[in-house]
Amino acid sequence: MMRHIIIGGSIAGISAAMEIRRSDAGALITMVSKEKPGAYYRPMIPYLIEKDGIDITFTDDPAKKYGIENIFEMATGIDAEAKEVALSSGDKLGYDRLLIAAGSGPVIPAIPGLDGDGVFALRTREDALGIKAAAKGKGDAVILGGGFVGTKAAIALRHLGLGVTIIEQQGQILPGRLDARGSAIVADAMRAAGIEIITGDLISEVIRDGGAVVSVRLSSGRTVKAGLVIVAAGSRPNVGVLRNSGIKTGRGVLINEMLQTNFPDIYAAGDVVEHADLITGMPAVSALWGNAEEMGRLAGKNMAGGNIKYAGFLSVMNATDILGIPVVSVGLIEPEGGGYEVVVQDGIDRYRKFVFRGDTLVGTVLVGDVANAGVYTNVIKNRVPLGRLKAEAMKEGLKYVDFVGSAPVQNLMG
Amino acid sequence: MKQIYVRPEQCMGCRSCEIGCAVQHSEEKSLFSAVLQSPPPMKRLFVESNDEIKMPVICRHCEDAPCLRSCISGCLFRDDKGLVRRKKERCIGCWTCMMTCPFGVITRDREKHIAVKCDRCHKLDVPACVNSCPTGALVFVDIDDMPKEKRQSLISAAAKEVL
Ligand SMILES: Cc1cc2nc3c(=O)[nH]c(=O)nc-3n(C[C@H](O)[C@H](O)[C@H](O)COP(=O)(O)OP(=O)(O)OC[C@H]3O[C@@H](n4cnc5c(N)ncnc54)[C@H](O)[C@@H]3O)c2cc1C
Ligand code: SF4
Ligand code: SF4
Repeated sequence: MMRHIIIGGSIAGISAAMEIRRSDAGALITMVSKEKPGAYYRPMIPYLIEKDGIDITFTDDPAKKYGIENIFEMATGIDAEAKEVALSSGDKLGYDRLLIAAGSGPVIPAIPGLDGDGVFALRTREDALGIKAAAKGKGDAVILGGGFVGTKAAIALRHLGLGVTIIEQQGQILPGRLDARGSAIVADAMRAAGIEIITGDLISEVIRDGGAVVSVRLSSGRTVKAGLVIVAAGSRPNVGVLRNSGIKTGRGVLINEMLQTNFPDIYAAGDVVEHADLITGMPAVSALWGNAEEMGRLAGKNMAGGNIKYAGFLSVMNATDILGIPVVSVGLIEPEGGGYEVVVQDGIDRYRKFVFRGDTLVGTVLVGDVANAGVYTNVIKNRVPLGRLKAEAMKEGLKYVDFVGSAPVQNLMG
Repeated sequence: MKQIYVRPEQCMGCRSCEIGCAVQHSEEKSLFSAVLQSPPPMKRLFVESNDEIKMPVICRHCEDAPCLRSCISGCLFRDDKGLVRRKKERCIGCWTCMMTCPFGVITRDREKHIAVKCDRCHKLDVPACVNSCPTGALVFVDIDDMPKEKRQSLISAAAKEVL
């Protein structure tokens, strides 16, 4: 009987466990997870801050449904030679196959005064509930970082009535996730909703009075009033458990196309992984729910004896809604250097950008109108050469029927 | 399992299926009141055309459904008939499913701020779009139950369409 151990009980770990169970009814599957009581939809935690009584747990308890044993502990080390995982209790678990699905955690910059009460990251359900409780009676909040997490935290706190200021060190909010124009549209809407956005500046110190946060000082010398600070400076793979294991890491765990690490019986999936981006070919960490699901599912298949190759992920594949503006960005959205053709349609109620390399669509930004977004995503992800359809894409945009007919360009489903 | 198949060569582009769908998903389920409903009821399939072809583009209730797999809230789920459906109260309108459905058949309900997709009229024996199509361009069959010769024509039609 195969014994599978999974470190991390979120979407990558659960998807793998379900897949192992589908392939092998008798397998022993143990999930080591430090977040009790079990999996939830992590991207939903910003809504816990502003809404009461919403349910973000997985509806069918996967542990029960798929016969997964949960151990709510921290995995503290891996002995890849002895094939054992050490737990915080001191116990050791032997495995035949191991999956590292430890996800990522918040980057906390070293800033004087940051450590202490009134400062929160937003990564877990606990964090969100902590922010909700701390926001009561507070007048102002400062958000360190204007990425998606910072933006969502800002909107949630604004909805609760706080004055909110985002401090982003780069020149725009959502850097890397939206181009300058897309970002400006979103920033205007946020400002109109009463959220202040300061770009190109850094928090240099958190000022406290008797322990409580009262304001933050910026590199420019400016101070901003705040009773609450949310740190949203990005995330980084949780590779701590791999220390001295001999498992190769870069920024995250390195995997091959079978999702194996340099030890063939140890796999990795989800936010903890570093892998070449499908479009840029550059090493990347995905930090996206859907990608973690896919990696987990394929790793699970392969752990149970399958032989499925993973094509890789797009590290930009974001969809969201910011104050009623739908936003999608996929692939390479800000090409550098030559060899690219960029088509922009900037209208009153929508902004669309398409980036081509030859006749292949490699990236898109859609703001205000995200109809048919999935057709673009699929074309980008599968690197479908558009041929005669390129002109169509640049004029009207693509729709599914364009890929049907007597001379279909290529199987759209890859 | 019964599936909806499209036979593009039969489609005249009359959009009867779109109307049938919208009416079925309207509050009172009649054309007369659907026309007056504000905001108007939304269709879940889309007649698209290019120089060569006209056809309704429908949700496949994919076996490996990208929309369901990427949904960040647990709204999308597979029901016991195998259909990919919504638990509407869970949807937060993040449009991730719109970003991942390769067919472009999920749309945005701007009033309710939720995603809208085909439920294959799960309470009806025959989906409204199929019932409304005057030419037989949409058929609702279980191909396993069909005679072989007939099955062949349908498969080829379906295969052509899925290309
Ligand atoms: C606020 C917020 C909003 C987001 N919004 C979106 C969105 O809209 N769309 C999107 O695609 N993505 C979004 N994401 C990203 C998405 O949540 C992640 O990509 C996804 O959760 C990654 O899944 P995972 O299973 O790889 O890891 P995680 O979800 O990070 O889970 C890893 C788990 O492993 C546990 N763990 C780590 N180390 C150990 C150890 N040594 N022992 C035991 N357990 C351990 C962790 O505590 C955690 O529970 C958002 C993230 C956040 C924080
Ligand atoms: S909405 Fe799209 S991805 Fe989802 S099941 Fe239907 S066709 Fe498949
Ligand atoms: S819009 Fe709704 S159904 Fe679609 S992915 Fe987001 S939460 Fe899920």
